[in-house]
Amino acid sequence: MSGHTGRGGHTDRRRPVAVPLRLRSGAVLAITSVIGLLMLAWPLLLDVSPDAERVDPPFLFLLLLPVILGVVLAEMSEGGMDARVLAVLGVLSAVNAVLRLASAGTAGLELVFFLLILGGRVFGAGFGFVLGCTSLFASALMTAGVGPWLPFQMLVAAWVGMGAGLLPRRVRGRGEIALLAAYGVVSAYLYGLLMNLQGWPFMAGVQVPGQDSTEISYVPGAALLDNLHHFVVYTLLTSTGGWDTGRAITNALAIVLLGPAVLVTLRRAARRARIDPTLAPR
Amino acid sequence: MLELRGITLTYDAADHPDGSRPTTVLDGIDLTVSDGELVVLAGPTGVGKSTLLGVVAGLVPSYTGGTLTGDVLLDGVSIIERPARERAHAIGYVGQNPAAWFVTDTVEEELAFGMEQLGLPATTMRRRVEETLDLLGIAELRYRDLRTLSGGQQQRVAIGAVLTVHPRLLVLDEPTSALDPTAAEDVLATLTRLVHDLGVSVLVAEHRLERVVPFADRLCLLGGDPARPGTVRVGDPAEVLRDAPIAPPIVELGRLAGWEPLPLTVRDARRQAPELTARLGGPPHRERPASAEPIVEVRRLVLAHGRTPVLREVDLALSPGTVTALMGRNGAGKSTLLWALQGRHEAGSGTVRVVGADPSSLRPEERRSTTGLVPQSPADLLYLETVAAECAAADLSAGADPGACRGLLERLAPGIDPDHHPRDLSEGQRLALAVAIVLTARPPVLLLDEPTRGLDYPAKRALAGLLRELAREPGARRAVLVATHDVEFVAQVADDLVVLAEGEVVSAGPVARGVSESPAFAPQVTKVLGAGWLGVDDVAERLAAGSAGVTP
Amino acid sequence: MRLARDLHPVAWWTWAVGLAVAASCTTNPLLLLVLLGVITLVVLTCRSDQPWARSFRLYVWLGVVVIAVRILFRILLGGDVPGQVLFTLPAIPLPDWAAGISLLGPFTREELLAAAYEGLRLATLLIAVGAANALANPKRLMKSLPPALYEIGTAMTVAISVVPQLADSARRVRAAQQLRGGPQGRFRRLRGVRRLLVPILEDSFDRSLALAAGMDARGYGRTGELTAAQRRGTGALIIAGLLGVCVGVYAFLDSTAPRILALPMLAVGTLVALGGFALAGRRVQRTRYRPDRWRLPEIVVAASGIAAGAGMWGVWRWDPQVAHPGVLVVPEVTLPALAAALVAVLPVWAAPLPVTAQRREEALA
Repeated sequence: MSGHTGRGGHTDRRRPVAVPLRLRSGAVLAITSVIGLLMLAWPLLLDVSPDAERVDPPFLFLLLLPVILGVVLAEMSEGGMDARVLAVLGVLSAVNAVLRLASAGTAGLELVFFLLILGGRVFGAGFGFVLGCTSLFASALMTAGVGPWLPFQMLVAAWVGMGAGLLPRRVRGRGEIALLAAYGVVSAYLYGLLMNLQGWPFMAGVQVPGQDSTEISYVPGAALLDNLHHFVVYTLLTSTGGWDTGRAITNALAIVLLGPAVLVTLRRAARRARIDPTLAPR
Repeated sequence: MLELRGITLTYDAADHPDGSRPTTVLDGIDLTVSDGELVVLAGPTGVGKSTLLGVVAGLVPSYTGGTLTGDVLLDGVSIIERPARERAHAIGYVGQNPAAWFVTDTVEEELAFGMEQLGLPATTMRRRVEETLDLLGIAELRYRDLRTLSGGQQQRVAIGAVLTVHPRLLVLDEPTSALDPTAAEDVLATLTRLVHDLGVSVLVAEHRLERVVPFADRLCLLGGDPARPGTVRVGDPAEVLRDAPIAPPIVELGRLAGWEPLPLTVRDARRQAPELTARLGGPPHRERPASAEPIVEVRRLVLAHGRTPVLREVDLALSPGTVTALMGRNGAGKSTLLWALQGRHEAGSGTVRVVGADPSSLRPEERRSTTGLVPQSPADLLYLETVAAECAAADLSAGADPGACRGLLERLAPGIDPDHHPRDLSEGQRLALAVAIVLTARPPVLLLDEPTRGLDYPAKRALAGLLRELAREPGARRAVLVATHDVEFVAQVADDLVVLAEGEVVSAGPVARGVSESPAFAPQVTKVLGAGWLGVDDVAERLAAGSAGVTP
Repeated sequence: MRLARDLHPVAWWTWAVGLAVAASCTTNPLLLLVLLGVITLVVLTCRSDQPWARSFRLYVWLGVVVIAVRILFRILLGGDVPGQVLFTLPAIPLPDWAAGISLLGPFTREELLAAAYEGLRLATLLIAVGAANALANPKRLMKSLPPALYEIGTAMTVAISVVPQLADSARRVRAAQQLRGGPQGRFRRLRGVRRLLVPILEDSFDRSLALAAGMDARGYGRTGELTAAQRRGTGALIIAGLLGVCVGVYAFLDSTAPRILALPMLAVGTLVALGGFALAGRRVQRTRYRPDRWRLPEIVVAASGIAAGAGMWGVWRWDPQVAHPGVLVVPEVTLPALAAALVAVLPVWAAPLPVTAQRREEALA
């Protein structure tokens, strides 16, 4: 058959690479990640001229990030995405969205990352990135929850999925579950931290005269360490104690208890989703 | 138009979906389909009918793995190298479960999807959608959500969705397997209309041969020769069916009676019947187990989902030692009645007594030891990674001796590898596993919801034998209730028949009387030979007895 | 004559983003309240009766919560803006590591106003986005995605249509699992989830592969292959564009970098990346059944949103006293500012009547 269907599966047919990461898409992902980090961490980086009367959060980024994400996703699906990959992507996004909806109501329970991590692990880093984006986007579409925060959530979730795909491949069995659970804890905290960083100036205000601010507000132009200090206090006070820890614990527990069974299921699906066709030479 | 030349498909050890042995599924198959022809593909379950259709559509081997040799020609041009999407304009393929194929969510959008992929202009699409809606008689459904449609409507939409691109060949995989008899008739009537009015060629795999064979131009039998299972025999339906291992009851009757030519329709058979009726004498009397106190009694049961009544004043009694069949259209309330007996649905009014207790008041574990229910998709019960683990879990939760479930499974379907993943089992094996798990708790009442889906004639016969054996098991006092659409299966398995319509019992009593009361539910043999004759087995028995000189 | 139909979803989103921009340009409570009124009026007259139309209320609540949170934060963390003290709570000094913060303490009227103004701005922004969610049909929005995102859009369509099936399968599996014994021991609930999750996942993968086969057999993915040169061109454009954006974002944040690298670089980078994006979409040769077209109402709706955004930006640029009145004076409103806020109410007359079940039935009858 054409090179189309066989793409990415030539070297090792047991290891599915659903969305192949070539040098080019790898480079695009790397640049996007840098842009994303800059946009998330702007409060720590922004340096303003001392005579500025007021500093507004850069609303421009809220408009720019969706465009960037669109470009990256187009690049990831460049050359056409196999129907099977697409179907698995759709189903996993839907399940993730439902898990997110169903678990958000229960206090401290948030199962967003559990399947995302396992999916990234089984289907690879490129797929994990796309799955992170589509899962959050699907859940936002379903709840009509599209908002300025969405592109940031999509980006950070995409990193989580991509990271899961980049974990060492060799580890299997109990070691694998332990590794994934640890990754689940780390990523839950990182997700909370980065989302807080982005929302901090919006929620706690910017500390300049004449504007609403508090003592843990972002101070434009202050030294990086000062702002970092303010931010750490803000994030400890607001979320680390509650949401983030709850999220970390439920994700780790879910991976330990459900992980083995779900991994088997996903690997079965992966096996069926990518079998190289063979046409005997005529 | 379409020509298959020496198609051979082998799975080597590594990519075999459920095992580790190399197998040849299709073995040097030659088949041609001419313009405007309807070719029926028949064969026992699991022989590779779907695989062959997949080869035509281009989905095999790219979705299944395996090595394909031979050639597929469309109008003399080889298309074997082209993936399914590059064949879509010429070959329209409709898979087994239409609901799983829908990409969009309304009828109109679904009809347009294929055309959008081909890049047709918007005005053409608009016109073809209208034409297709009319052609299939679904114009009033255009804005409907696909998931709210009935099975027959869904199947027609699925056919319409491939028809809009004007394919020259329509390939259908068991289009009626999930439909009730009336809906199945509708879909098959639509198909014949397409062949006659539009001149579309059709290649259809179907296990209810009795419905489709009358319209077939040719029959292609796959797996008819046990010595070489991957080969086909193609020819005139009556010729091919003469010695095929799978044959509709009417053909078996014809073979038994030595009719020439072999009848394919009830009409043909009735013309030749008087001679046989004279030879046979009066209808047989089916022996029934000695009547005993019923262990299930339902009186004036009323049940509603929200404000829609599902069951209205239903009466039902099941005696130990009997198998009862429950029939009726899709949505007539069959499943609801089964679940009411299990105890999940509480009676709105009226009484339900199962082994002397109201099942809805029992605790879950007590329910499990009174009734065993095998749901419509038995795979829902299975969640562990190996057959052995499933069996062990069943033993544990039923409090049975370790190995009880394995023993039952071995009786029902011998030779299943305990290390297999339950999802890799064949349809019949999976059903057997679910039945074994349910029976581990040794319930005196066994309920089965549509167990014959996907089973061929021999497999259905085996299931019928098993259910009768379970009901008659000495010392067990067990009653079996089977909800099904399959008339011929009912004739084989049941002692009693209950027919539901719109949630009401419209007929109840011994099978022979039940089927003669309502012709729609009559098996073919009854239609040919008259009331009292249920299956070919009855006739064979009588003929054997007759030749031995014992005339009644 | 105005016929009932769905307005192009992108038009609604443009309108809403314009309003969000307008809201982000001002902290004048009067202007923000006018904007809120405009948004609410348009949503109430133009929304359909589909499920997503009901989400607007949630966004209004979210806005209220945001304002409350801002004020609570101020009360809890205190501030040091002098002014008229409303009430005083006992101050709780935190240890040194917490940046010398003291909790609670006196609370002034100015602090209250400042928190409320900022909160109101954020709430208006959220409610504007909520309006788009309520007004635009999400499925049609997916269909209006640019061709380069066709695959992702299709995956989304699949995801949205899989959800009801997931609910079905969950119900079925739950019922079926009652027929078997439950798990015992610790973590029973999570183990219960496993009994549910595994069959549902297996089921949905089976479905998804069937769906993939169905899509494939119906011609999905018949893409015209791009030539190697075209593909290289796309890749180069995308990478160059993203690099440009990267530099632009950095320069935007660092005021010591040359200004030419900031906004101009951002704009150029974005344009170049979008060029690559458009080129990537060229391979797609599909057509749309009943495509959403841009007609006059679409243009008017989108333009009114853009006008509001641009107008309010002008007010912020040239009349900062009106845009940001501060907490010490009574906020004023000028005629241009009011006009900028009110222009967004045009959709009430320009948009077609919303499609409702009743109108659809009348049309069929």
